[in-house]
Parts: sequence; structure tokens; C-alpha cells
Amino acid sequence: MRIADHRLLDALCAEYLIGTLRGGARRRFEAAVQNEPLVALRLRHWEATATPRYSKMIEVQPPARVWQQLERELDLPSYRLRWYQRTVFWKAWASVATAALLVLLVVAGRSPPSAPPPAVQIAQLTGAGGATQVIAQRSRDGRSLVLKANRPVLAGPNQSYELWLIPGPGRAPVSLAVLGNLDATITLAQDTADQLRTGATLAVSAEPAGGSPTGQPTGAVILAGPVTA
Amino acid sequence: MRGTPGVLGYHGNARGSWIGNPSSNVSIDMLDDKLIKGLLLRTAARDEGSAQAFERLYKLCAPLLLGVAKRIVGRQELAEEILHDSFTKIWTTADRFDVLANQPVAWMVSIARNRAIDTMARHDVSRVQSYHDDALDDPDGALDQLFDWSESVDDSEDRRRASAWMRDCLGRLQGMERQSLVLAYVQGLSHGELAAHLRKPLGTVKSWIRRGVANLRQCVETCMGTAR
Repeated sequence: MRIADHRLLDALCAEYLIGTLRGGARRRFEAAVQNEPLVALRLRHWEATATPRYSKMIEVQPPARVWQQLERELDLPSYRLRWYQRTVFWKAWASVATAALLVLLVVAGRSPPSAPPPAVQIAQLTGAGGATQVIAQRSRDGRSLVLKANRPVLAGPNQSYELWLIPGPGRAPVSLAVLGNLDATITLAQDTADQLRTGATLAVSAEPAGGSPTGQPTGAVILAGPVTA
Repeated sequence: MRGTPGVLGYHGNARGSWIGNPSSNVSIDMLDDKLIKGLLLRTAARDEGSAQAFERLYKLCAPLLLGVAKRIVGRQELAEEILHDSFTKIWTTADRFDVLANQPVAWMVSIARNRAIDTMARHDVSRVQSYHDDALDDPDGALDQLFDWSESVDDSEDRRRASAWMRDCLGRLQGMERQSLVLAYVQGLSHGELAAHLRKPLGTVKSWIRRGVANLRQCVETCMGTAR
């Protein structure tokens, strides 16, 4: 059975967080967190509510060997900047001019590391009170949408936020994402990405946990803003 | 309002003395969830910056994870093993961290806690005797050591409120319910170990936990409903 339908879902989340959910029961629950968004949403809610800040008093400094072992076993050096990408190298270069010339030739032959493309702001979403503002940015490659709120906004226990794209006046809203909070990165489907242009509107509504049951907004629209792209 | 009377007959100030003095332990460089989340995402990206991000993540969080593990297993070398295994898991499963979740530190701590709990179950060690007695005799004090209840200007409003609710609601729980919840959490005790330590039947301990969880949830949800 789906864990999301379990009448004790909240109790399961709590026992999982406390640590008394053991063995097979815990493995089933962890699988459900991966596979059932409602369970993940519920756990996230309880995690956010029930986790105070940990005290620095309990911290214990680990010996260096633990990190050294990790670095070796996980082959971390291959996920580091190459020697020619490091500033230390360039400092050495400054003092050895002739060698620098040689190295420069080598480096010029290689392609530079691809930096993540910068994002472009395409909308500013505001609410009735004006206290919360969310900036919507589209990544340069057009494949994701990034929401940044001016303050942390967390959905209540029985609600989710849902992000909608209204392609134009009179058009039906298209659901882009169900969110637990308003800082989020959303991967866009190609046809959705094409509709994110001037004339469209982005809006956020408050919906029951897990998102609108009908596929159209059912709750209050708390934020909206026109797209300019 | 917050003072819903008498959840399970708790009397007196909801912020009882067991909680300690909130202003006594002001943390200076607390773990910043936003920063940690960014480092996790960069780790998951598996590009040239991933090892640096992971190393920074380790430097920031390893002392906490080691402390949490040590509290559960009681032995330094075993705790170091758990730290190692936890960060191996964090490296390999960073891409499974839910990008919408705002509690990356809690996510990492839960990996270490679960690993520590499994280790103890596997080693089949009779741990109850090996505990520091002070933690068992004074679970509330142990909780105060584990958590920093002080308010920080860096906390979001949501977080400040949630922390205050949790503290109040824990304080309102009935003695045995609270004690079993706290021991299970702080020491990673199973139902069976709790029963052995508290010298009570397994069924009794299970129902304390179950009722404790239910009452805690009800209390927190009451706070949420009225705080809006």
C-alpha cells in the first residue's frame, strides 16, 4: 500500500525523525520518501518544524585521517580544478616568465571549464500586502526557472504552494511546480519554456498539501507578476 | 493562544527549568542551511568544483555529525567509522537530497544517526550499561546539550517560531512520554532498549512513544493554527 495513504503518516514521520522506526519499516519508509512526493512533503514539514538548531557544544573535531581516507576512497582529486585552473599556479607563473610562455600555449589549446550560465530575471511576483516578493529568473540555457524570495516562506502543515504559468489573457493556467517554500529551482519542459515570454503571467496559489487536486488553481493566489522576457 | 491548558496534566511554566537558560549558549558561527544546501547541490553536480564543495561541507558539518554519532555509540573509534560511512553516503547520494528541502543539516544528521543506530544493532552491544549515567538520569539536560534553543538573529521567523513551539510542547508532555522520546532521540535507543533501561514492559514503552508523538504533534499543530 502507498505510505502516503497511511492513516498514521504523521506518526511514521515522527518516529522516523526520532529514530525508533527500525529495520524493514524504516527501509519501506525511506523508499516511500523517494517514490511518493506526499510522504516527502510531510517529512519535510515535520523536519522543518521539529528540528531545532544543534548546539555547538556537542561537536567533536574529527582526526585528519578520516578526511584523508574519504579523499582517497572517493577519488576526490578527479573532481577538483585542474592544476592549470588554479590561482596558485598563476602566481608561480608570474615569477617564471619563460616557463609561463610554454604553459600558456598548452592552456590555450584546452577548452576552459564551462561555467554555469548566468540567469536572467524575467518576472517579479508580489502579493497583496507587498511584504513578500519573489524574483523569477530563467537560466541562460532556458531549461530552468529559479525562484528567489526576499524572505523565507514556508508552506503550512496542510498546504503546498503551486506555481502557475498563465500563457496569455484568457488562457488556462499551466501548473509548473508544487512547492514547499518559495525558494526553488524548477526544470522546464521545452513547450513550457517557450511560453515563458512577454504577455504571460506567473502566479503562486496556496493549495492543499501535494498541490491542486483539479489541475487548476483552487486556492487563493498569493503572488503574481507579469513575465517580461 | 499558546497556553492551551493541560496537555497531559503538565503544570506550571511551559518553559520549565529543564530547558536551561535560552540565552546562556549563544552560538557564534552556526551552520547556515542556505550555504550547506548550496554546497550539497554543488557536490551533486560532479564537476570540477564538487570536491572543493564537499570538502567545505565536511569541514563545516563533520564535527556535528561526529558528536551526534558519538553520543549514540559512545566510542570514539566507532563514531569515526560512522562519520566516514556517513560522508561516503552523502557524497554518493547528494543528488537525492530534495532540492526543495530547507533542512540540509537535519538531512545529514539523520544519515549519521541512522548509521549509528544500525551499527549498534549490528554490533549487538548491550549498550544500556555503557551509557553516561548523567544522560540517562537527566534526559532534559542531555537535550539542552544537543540543541541550541537560543534565538539567533540569523534564524528565519519560521524557524524561531518552530523552535519555540517545540520547546513549549516538549515541556507540556507527561514525564514518561517526554523521557522516552528524548532518550530515543538523544541516545538512539530502540523500543527494546528503552524498555530495558526504564524497566518497563515493551508495550508500555511503545505506547509512551506513540502517545508522546501524538500529543507533541497535536500541541505543535495547535500552536500553528493559532499563530497564523
